[in-house]
Amino acid sequence: MPVAWVLILSSFLFSVGIYGVLARRNAVLVLMSIELMLNAANINFVVFNLLLHSISYIGQVFALFIITIAAAELGVGLAIVILIFRNRSTVSIDEVSLMKW
Amino acid sequence: MQIDYAAVAPELVLTGALCIVLVVDLVLPDNRKGLIMPVSLLGVAGTLLALLALAGDPTRTTLGGMFVVDSFAVTLKILFCVAALLTLAMSYDYLRKEGIHQGEFYFLLLCSLLGMLTIASSRDLLPIFVSLELVSVPAFVLAGLQKIDVKSNEAALKFFLFSILSTAVMLFGMSLIYGITGTTNLAEIAVRLAATPVLRSIAVLSVFFVVVGFGFKISAFPFQWWVPDTYEGSPVPVAAFLSVASKTAGFVGLLQIMFIAFHGLADVWRPFIAAVAILTMTFGNLVALTQRHIVRLLAYSSIGQAGYILLPLAVVNVNGGSVNHEAFAASIAYLLIYAFMEMGAFSVAVAYGREGGYFIDDYAGLGYRAPGLAVVMTVFLFSLAGIPPLAGWAAKLFIFRAVIDGHEYWLAVAMAVNTVIALFYYAKVVRRMFFEPAGDGPLGVKVPLLLQATIAVSTVMVLLVGILPDLAAHLARMSTLV
Amino acid sequence: MPKGYFGEYLTLAFFAGMMLLLVAGTLGLNKLVSPKVHRDEKYLTYECGVDPVGGGWSQTQIRYYLFGLLFVVFDVEAVFLFPWAVVFDKLGTAAFVEMVIFIGILALGLAYAWRKKVLEWL
Repeated sequence: MPVAWVLILSSFLFSVGIYGVLARRNAVLVLMSIELMLNAANINFVVFNLLLHSISYIGQVFALFIITIAAAELGVGLAIVILIFRNRSTVSIDEVSLMKW
Repeated sequence: MQIDYAAVAPELVLTGALCIVLVVDLVLPDNRKGLIMPVSLLGVAGTLLALLALAGDPTRTTLGGMFVVDSFAVTLKILFCVAALLTLAMSYDYLRKEGIHQGEFYFLLLCSLLGMLTIASSRDLLPIFVSLELVSVPAFVLAGLQKIDVKSNEAALKFFLFSILSTAVMLFGMSLIYGITGTTNLAEIAVRLAATPVLRSIAVLSVFFVVVGFGFKISAFPFQWWVPDTYEGSPVPVAAFLSVASKTAGFVGLLQIMFIAFHGLADVWRPFIAAVAILTMTFGNLVALTQRHIVRLLAYSSIGQAGYILLPLAVVNVNGGSVNHEAFAASIAYLLIYAFMEMGAFSVAVAYGREGGYFIDDYAGLGYRAPGLAVVMTVFLFSLAGIPPLAGWAAKLFIFRAVIDGHEYWLAVAMAVNTVIALFYYAKVVRRMFFEPAGDGPLGVKVPLLLQATIAVSTVMVLLVGILPDLAAHLARMSTLV
Repeated sequence: MPKGYFGEYLTLAFFAGMMLLLVAGTLGLNKLVSPKVHRDEKYLTYECGVDPVGGGWSQTQIRYYLFGLLFVVFDVEAVFLFPWAVVFDKLGTAAFVEMVIFIGILALGLAYAWRKKVLEWL
């Protein structure tokens, strides 16, 4: 398996994630875009581990840690978004901006 | 794999303490929740004792080289513990008066502290990533502790979005580094990067990603947008904790990665870091001039300070040597001193804020109404500005000397100009306090005992280090990794 | 019947044409002779004979999210159990004790959720 394919796939996922973060105004969709970026890193770690024939499996372990920490992080993030929805009845990032400069 | 339990003893003590805090919070009835505070204070004190027992020992390495306890780690861990103790003392009365005194606050604070302790020992990309998240995730919740306050919600959301985005960017960079070098150990990365010059362009790209990721954590320009809003919206002691401990944790991670793993590529990233540092301090100091809210002023000032701390990275030499050593020591010394002046300024803001308000206009005539508070606030602000003989002056001098030693004179000039700009807004607050008629604020401010202790400790440290700057310099030189 | 390599395909094409003709014929006949009555009810979504009420978008109960979050977090933490289980017999008792501590901390989180009455359906 050529390494270029993997890099193209992961860079594509990463770019889609970045685009989503910049273009989407709904907080939940932004969270999903960030998840795409994290998964791009995951793909890299797992595949590099495979290609390097690393006996320490550090790449695979790294991916496991990313998965678990991303779950915990998004749990907290969703809780914050729901809190805001309760108080303000909106999840649009543009509208949640009381403080400027 | 054999684990050196002595090396991880402080972390184990803290983990035990935070489990106890959680259990105590669950079993205590609502009217006795005040007990959680002494329990967590004891927990941090126990951790501090375990750390002091490790001080001076030879370097210990465990967990397959991922976890190293050396003088660098011990010094910074002690700093983190002291910052946590000051935050605990600062927040007790504040939380009670705001009606948000919850056991979760202490649990989350200790969790964040645990992340800070482990990041100081992490010599591998994996634990650095895990520790950074352990620092940040509880901090999101802490920032949003005032659940019904929409400003606090907003603070938490902005902090969360910026932080997780930076993490994603950083992880992508880390994955590329792993792909190029086949290892995540920092020292190994440096060796293999030197051995494979073919993939240099990808290496530079991934270094860039990692720096961008850390840039958010340390609030470097142009990734600082969340800082003022998050500090203003979150409870004030949490803002103090974020600006001191969380930022220092980010710097600790960045310094380790840049000095150990990536110093071989310093030629490429040095100009980039220099530009970021200059823009950060200039932006922070210029915008701070226009602020009217004391917490926002301190937030922008802390952005400016981050620029100074970043500056020594811009003189790193590819071949190592004494320039690197001095640069590393200058950053560490600044971090050590910065913690106390920032904590002090925030605790005065907390002490006065309840009765007087958080706007700079509220500070008018404080010199007549509460002279003691006004004098210590002046000490902290002038120290942040870098006026001798206060500690901030010594800190700036270390950075200045490191930059001159690196023969980057224009950086030194930029820093001097910034120091002058910064003096304006610090002096503005001081002028309000002493040379303006007393407003209709309260006469004589009652400061709770714990808060008095926080202010006293910070004042003593700022004055002591100001008079004997060699204390900080010696400690910092001892605690470098190069 | 034609023979040869392409002959076989000719047979196939013949059957395919017959099939299309049959389908088109029956459907067309249906269209031609069936009665046509247009009524508004005919354009409604079929819901077991009951008249549909409201729009197609529906909101889930917001309190369900807590269960969702708890499930995801605890579910994902189980990821650490699998690599541990694979090499369990090589690691010995120390690893067992460590995993018990890990699960103990997770259980503490569950106990917290339980005490905060998150698990009750209000």
